[in-house]
Amino acid sequence: MIAIDHIHKAFGATQVLKGVSLDVAAGEVVCLIGPSGSGKSTVLRCINGLESYDSGAITIHGQTVDVRRSDIHRLRTRVGMVFQRFNLFPHRTVLENVMEGPIFVKGEPRTDARRHAQELLEKVGLAEKQAAYPTQLSGGQQQRVAIARALAMRPEAILFDEPTSALDPELVGDVLTVMRDLATEGMTMVVVTHEMSFAKEVADRVCFLYGGQIVEEGPASRVLSEPQNARTQDFLRRVLNH
Amino acid sequence: MAYSDIAAFFPILLKGAVVTVQITLGALLLSTFLGLLLALMKRSPFAPISALASTFINVIRGLPIIVQLFYIYFVIPELGIDLSAFQASIIGLGIAYSAYQAENFRAGIEAVDAGQIEAAKSIGMKSALIMRRVVLPQAVRIALPPYGNTAVMILKDSSLASTITVAEMTRAGQLIAASTFQNTTVYTMVALMYLALSLPLIFGVNRLERFFAKSRQGADQ
Ligand SMILES: Nc1ncnc2c1ncn2[C@@H]1O[C@H](COP(=O)(O)OP(=O)(O)OP(=O)(O)O)[C@@H](O)[C@H]1O
Ligand SMILES: [Mg+2]
Repeated sequence: MIAIDHIHKAFGATQVLKGVSLDVAAGEVVCLIGPSGSGKSTVLRCINGLESYDSGAITIHGQTVDVRRSDIHRLRTRVGMVFQRFNLFPHRTVLENVMEGPIFVKGEPRTDARRHAQELLEKVGLAEKQAAYPTQLSGGQQQRVAIARALAMRPEAILFDEPTSALDPELVGDVLTVMRDLATEGMTMVVVTHEMSFAKEVADRVCFLYGGQIVEEGPASRVLSEPQNARTQDFLRRVLNH
Repeated sequence: MAYSDIAAFFPILLKGAVVTVQITLGALLLSTFLGLLLALMKRSPFAPISALASTFINVIRGLPIIVQLFYIYFVIPELGIDLSAFQASIIGLGIAYSAYQAENFRAGIEAVDAGQIEAAKSIGMKSALIMRRVVLPQAVRIALPPYGNTAVMILKDSSLASTITVAEMTRAGQLIAASTFQNTTVYTMVALMYLALSLPLIFGVNRLERFFAKSRQGADQ
């Protein structure tokens, strides 16, 4: 459903993406791994048009992602995003954070939006926190609210950019559990992560990004256990010994 | 301190108080408008515009307000623009405080971090909606307490208008005192009347600060 075809992207003189191609089928979970600065976030941000790309093409179910086109807003409602730093709206309660998009973007009736939001909070294990403000929650709880907020738009896919990197180690598990459940339910997911065990267990496919190119990709078990490329081997050795 | 004196002075001072309130409101309005303009200019990606705003703000902050008032009241008319003392005091205080207002507003807008705006975009919100639902509600909460403080300062500094002959409360007091020599009575009354105006404002600001601190908010973690 997500088709990335040979995209290039430069920030000023720095070429950040050098011909990245990636197809994600509906229901598939793809993990993007790679060293810092390799362009993982940029790939994700191009998919939902938070960043423009210079050449190549990205389509969602055949519809082109183009930041300058007026349908970009509608497209973004179809592809959710979860950020490393949660980015909840601090002036709104947990419930309001989740209801914001359905009510103000999709124009859903308030009662429907509320019921759906409460179901989602239940699902991420935070039903009793709906009246709290984000700063009253732990990082792991905030991230689960952020996932509920993305789900509230009933997206066809969700992009995760290092969703557990800003969390204390003991809070990572709850977030990964929610993500694992989503994967099991058949949600299409592209996940940038350093959690290799999660990738190994949940991902259908792992892509290793290096210097703006996907230098190795394949089934999670193969890429993570028997990497062919020397750069992948080197990267995995460093991450796993960490 | 005879009651008859108080009764005689009060209506005169009250008239002055009305002028004080008019100057304060006029200057507050003008400084709000100019301050917003300066804050937006300062954020402009076009360098000459932001440089112009910065220069203006620095010059204004570097000048005593009384000198700005003298300048507007005595120098501008020489350029052929007629201003009453009342108008000059509103313009002078409005400009003087626009520099502080600009900083308040800028701080409010910039306190809303880029991550939230991206999150808003990622659920399909358009820029006008993001401004309305995400940026402004937070910017206002951040800028409101300093805004109230600025209002208190303008109220007090409106007394500077007395130096360019505006018959506001301080000037009214001076005139009564000069003709009756009842300094204690007059200035005690003037002081109390300023407090009657400023204390409610100050309490209001304190309440606001406490209210916003409770439903806090602020950067994550
Ligand atoms: N807005 C920007 N302006 C200029 N350069 C940028 C911008 N965003 C990213 N870059 C550069 O693009 C390159 C790729 O960045 P990107 O954030 O995609 O890397 P990443 O793989 O996500 O890294 P990390 O693991 O540190 O998050 C980096 O060299 C980065 O400095
Ligand atoms: Mg990144």
